[in-house]
Amino acid sequence: MEQFHLVLAVFWLIAGGVAFYFSIGNARVWTSIAVGFFLILLGEIIPGALPILPGLDNPYILAMGHIIGTIAILVMSHGFQEYYVFTRTLDFEGSKLFVYLSVAGVIIASLVFLLINPAPGPEVRRVIRIVENTNWVFLSLINIDLIRKIYLNVKDTPISKGFIAFMVVFACIFLWKGSQLYIDVYDLENKKDLINYTISYFTNLGGNLLASISVGATFIYLAKLLR
Amino acid sequence: MILLPRGNPVKENVNPGKVNLPDALDKLRQGKFTGYLRFDFSEGTGIFIFQAGRLISSLFETGRENLIAYDAIARTFHEALKGDGRLDIYRLSPELAFSIHALLHGEMLHRGQDLQLIDIRSLLTRMRDEQRSGCLRIYSQNHIALIFYRDGKPLGFFHDGSTDIETTADTSMSVAREAGAKVDVLITRGDVEKSLADLMETANIAGLWNKSVGERQRQREEQENAASRTLEMREGERRQKTLALFQKTAQQHLGKIGVSLVDKEFDRLKLNGVSLGEAQLTGFYDNLTKAAKLVAGPSKIELMLDEMKKGARSLLKGP
Repeated sequence: MEQFHLVLAVFWLIAGGVAFYFSIGNARVWTSIAVGFFLILLGEIIPGALPILPGLDNPYILAMGHIIGTIAILVMSHGFQEYYVFTRTLDFEGSKLFVYLSVAGVIIASLVFLLINPAPGPEVRRVIRIVENTNWVFLSLINIDLIRKIYLNVKDTPISKGFIAFMVVFACIFLWKGSQLYIDVYDLENKKDLINYTISYFTNLGGNLLASISVGATFIYLAKLLR
Repeated sequence: MILLPRGNPVKENVNPGKVNLPDALDKLRQGKFTGYLRFDFSEGTGIFIFQAGRLISSLFETGRENLIAYDAIARTFHEALKGDGRLDIYRLSPELAFSIHALLHGEMLHRGQDLQLIDIRSLLTRMRDEQRSGCLRIYSQNHIALIFYRDGKPLGFFHDGSTDIETTADTSMSVAREAGAKVDVLITRGDVEKSLADLMETANIAGLWNKSVGERQRQREEQENAASRTLEMREGERRQKTLALFQKTAQQHLGKIGVSLVDKEFDRLKLNGVSLGEAQLTGFYDNLTKAAKLVAGPSKIELMLDEMKKGARSLLKGP
């Protein structure tokens, strides 16, 4: 299983790297989306993708991983909203630097929030993880619908097929995060003998793997479309 | 065409559009000028006859109508202000000046009679026998000669370059002998000389002039407005054609959203009254590139812009 997590980590490293590189080299409106996907890398690797990493048992680091995951879906959802608004109004504003600084500011503020409060124990981290996964699950569904609308608005442009790829990405993420949410809400970690757990567990792993692959592939495909 | 002897030139080939005619007429009046002013325009010919500083007669003749007195003055002013006429001023003796008036306003007894078909000597005899007053105008392709009569007696002969009535008929007869020479016979009835008023005294010359200046100004403004409207229409057409070209190109490369981007950026073009040119489109291309980056890559955008620039260049190279 550790090897599987290692593979996952490699895929997320690739996906995150590609996403971050993509955010630098393209239009401002892609920045939020790409940074959001890059944050998955931080949120995934820190809490558990690489058990060999130091500080895995540190409650602050673990809690921070979930918080960054939450920030990731919020940032990328904001990015897709901006893109949708652009396709409707043809207006967009802001700067890349502002996006980077804002995201960094929110992460730092979250860290300060954690540090000034008691150390987040397992129960607190479970609540934070539920919050994170709830955001992922519902915003994935909302994003799929939003991306569908974006696709309809830009379907005869060179970039259009990239949005179909994003719908696939969010479908994978929905399975990944939805199964984790199901496990947490029903506390299936303590009922591992149930088939529900087994299905959810493998759905979670599969969704995670597919999400990492589809994110990396989508950004490579987008980069090709935007050459 | 009014056929008149040229007399002794005072000024020739002056553009009447560049002269303040009321002032010029006033100067002639002050100088007790005797002679005539001839205005040649594409629309017709105007003649002002002065006798000892009095404007005794004016005529404006077109192919279709003859205007006299104030109407002739007004029309002459009107045509002069168009700026493409010619003014010649000739000095004459007082008697000849009146004779010119008689010539211009007399009754035409015979017109354009071919001198090869008519016996000139018997015509002259008839003038004498019938005690006619008037003028025989003999003209060929290149020359003109006038024989003035009063009560059947010849007053004298007048021809190109002469300033006064001459007593010899040599020149007049030599014109009559030229190939294709013709004769007009004009007569006057009664003694009209005494009844001639000074038109400058009875007419408000400055008023007529100002009215013509006003009309001309109005016409010029109308022409300018019409030209401006035409220019605006042409400019609008150029803009529409350019926009249509951009929309078509954007549709091909970026689809529907490309057309919308072109519409938006084209609307934002600030021309400030300057006609659309390649220089004005620089900002448009920059903004379109920026917006298009959201839906396409640099190579596709560059290809699209190249097509747009090429098309716009051929559309906008006209005036």
